[in-house]
Amino acid sequence: MNDLIPLMVIIPIIAAILLNVLHGKNSLVKIVSFIIAICLPLIPLLSNYGLHYFGGHSPLIDNGDLLNSLPSFISNTNLSNLHIGITYYFGGLQKAILFFLFLLGFLAIFITINERKRSSGSYMFLIFMALGSVTAMLLSDDIFHMYIFFEIAITAQVGIILSSNDDQRYETAMKYMILGSIGGPILLTGIGFLLGLVGSVNITDISNAVKNGLIDPISPVFLFSFGLIFFGWIYSVGLPPFHTIKSAIYSKATPSGSAILQALSVVIFLSFGLAILRIYSHLPFINGFIIFFSLCGMILSITMALIETDLRRIIGFLAVGELGYLGLGFGIGTKLSVTAALFQGLNELIITALLFIGFGVILQLTKTSNINKLGGLIESHPKIAIMVLIGGFAMAGVPPLNGFQSKLMLIQSALNANFPELAIIMILISIVTFMTFIKIFHSAYLKPKPKDLTIEKSLVPRSTILSIAILLIICIVLGLMPELVVKDFSVFVGGLI
Amino acid sequence: MDIYTMIHNSVKNFQNKLKKDIITNENVSSAIAAELTIVSTILISSILLRRINVMLTVLIILGLGLYLITNMPLISKLKKEQDDSLNKMMFYVILTLGILVSVVYWGVL
Amino acid sequence: MIDVQLAALLCSGCFILVGLYAAIFLDNIIKKIIGISFIEEGANLFLITLAYKPKGVVPILLPNMSPDWFITNSAYPLPHALVLTSVVIGASTLAVILAIAMVLYKKHGSLSASEILGDSNE
Repeated sequence: MNDLIPLMVIIPIIAAILLNVLHGKNSLVKIVSFIIAICLPLIPLLSNYGLHYFGGHSPLIDNGDLLNSLPSFISNTNLSNLHIGITYYFGGLQKAILFFLFLLGFLAIFITINERKRSSGSYMFLIFMALGSVTAMLLSDDIFHMYIFFEIAITAQVGIILSSNDDQRYETAMKYMILGSIGGPILLTGIGFLLGLVGSVNITDISNAVKNGLIDPISPVFLFSFGLIFFGWIYSVGLPPFHTIKSAIYSKATPSGSAILQALSVVIFLSFGLAILRIYSHLPFINGFIIFFSLCGMILSITMALIETDLRRIIGFLAVGELGYLGLGFGIGTKLSVTAALFQGLNELIITALLFIGFGVILQLTKTSNINKLGGLIESHPKIAIMVLIGGFAMAGVPPLNGFQSKLMLIQSALNANFPELAIIMILISIVTFMTFIKIFHSAYLKPKPKDLTIEKSLVPRSTILSIAILLIICIVLGLMPELVVKDFSVFVGGLI
Repeated sequence: MDIYTMIHNSVKNFQNKLKKDIITNENVSSAIAAELTIVSTILISSILLRRINVMLTVLIILGLGLYLITNMPLISKLKKEQDDSLNKMMFYVILTLGILVSVVYWGVL
Repeated sequence: MIDVQLAALLCSGCFILVGLYAAIFLDNIIKKIIGISFIEEGANLFLITLAYKPKGVVPILLPNMSPDWFITNSAYPLPHALVLTSVVIGASTLAVILAIAMVLYKKHGSLSASEILGDSNE
């Protein structure tokens, strides 16, 4: 049923507004948010693939009666192909990513409900609003629509940062907003150039116009719009020079909040990245640009992660560095590599969430995240230690976990496309990722416990352990049966390239 | 001074450069690992330039390799450039925007 | 006589540049925020300029207009709708930034960006 497609955006937004109104009524907020959050992952599973035209405004060419009644300079030209309203596209890619995104949202809400005695309706508002806005970005075929929901997602992200109790949260949020207020309007200006050239902001229309030679792909205005939109993209996903602020915001939120924040970044990366590939794939140098920024992101983030001493900041840098793999997949630009990049994005969404929640337990127990002051936690929490260790294996790409499958695909695609250097760098960086992970694992769990370390409360909420276990099971299942999602992804990419 | 001594001295220098944090084995060894990672990945990724011109690539790699080794330790400099101060972040953001737009605009014409 | 569209385009470019200057070089956070709102307004002005048509009419088809005349003379309506949305988004973002600035002022007693938004590790 195609009517379910817009509901994936509408239900989270209505839930957000409702929960904000209910703020203060503690048990009601808990019940309502739990019910809506558990129902959300079902919608992508139940919905059929297809297109949804808002207001029923399908392109004129699909509407024969109306088309015949119009003058010939509309019916016989490209005007009849234009998408008049906002269009949502829902396919296998969207289904898989939205299912896991909503599942992650549910786990974050589940953890929050169990962790805090008083549930905040406003915090639930932020999580639902963020989920709804990135869903709209992923589904939408309209680049301006994506920009609007991107700005909403950024504001919701800032709210999630502010709701933690870190000392530096206001400063970090302010920096993020100031940098974002430069990146956002620059992106909007780029969209404006495209609008001026094509007269439409629909991505399909723009790419048709480029393909049919209606606009010159190396005209200065088109190139200028590429530069501005590309800049907006690197801002939105945290490639350099935005990697420091992106890792800072991950490290300032609550553990479940950070899990949501990085998931938002991954989905924003995929949706804007696919839009850029579809619009600008005719430009000869676009692959070089994407590869350059992704390599910088990987190298700078991983080296910063190695020398940091704050646990959450290290995982933040690792999360940003892993995005470089997605970028390399997009940059290589073959069918296999883009499929692998999409799969890697899905895996990263799950694995990084696992690590943020898993290492977040340490912060709750010891109230410190400095790795020099930690140690010996494996005695008191062996179960969590083992689950986090397997999660780290998945991130580094150890078989048979999901990270291995997607990284192997990426490396194969790099070799097939005659980029052996990139394959070597990918292997090198995943070794260093593994080393970084082992370093933090060792200093938190295996090292002898320092004398001055006090463990405040030794009981970890069951909801946290359950969430880590669910994420771990997904990692193993996707690692053993990657074709569950990869088949759909390659069908989607086949239609694209 | 031969190159081996230079590298050896630079490793010794790490302890001074990492003054802010508590010095542990882990910190120093991870800083060295970061140093090696950054040198090797930059050199390998510069091989990508072979798609433009092979001779140019050889020259750039030789020059870059010499530059990176003589300027060790790089990582403390890099860390200083990537701290959380808004002014530094803003500087690099505007620099990137400027370079990106000018390369895209003039590079192809 | 100056072309209105060209003037508006130049004006929007100036807005963006002045805003970038303020956001980079001025130290006071409130001044930075004013610069940011300049950048946003520049982008909005740029979008709305695209819809301009010399001697154009409002894009509403009235009963006494012939469709052919309407098509050649009406302004392009899409940018208006887009700018309306983007103004709303800009205003709400600005509200959030100003709210954070208030909290920062209460916490530090100062609005100097180099003081309160410097490196937190030092």
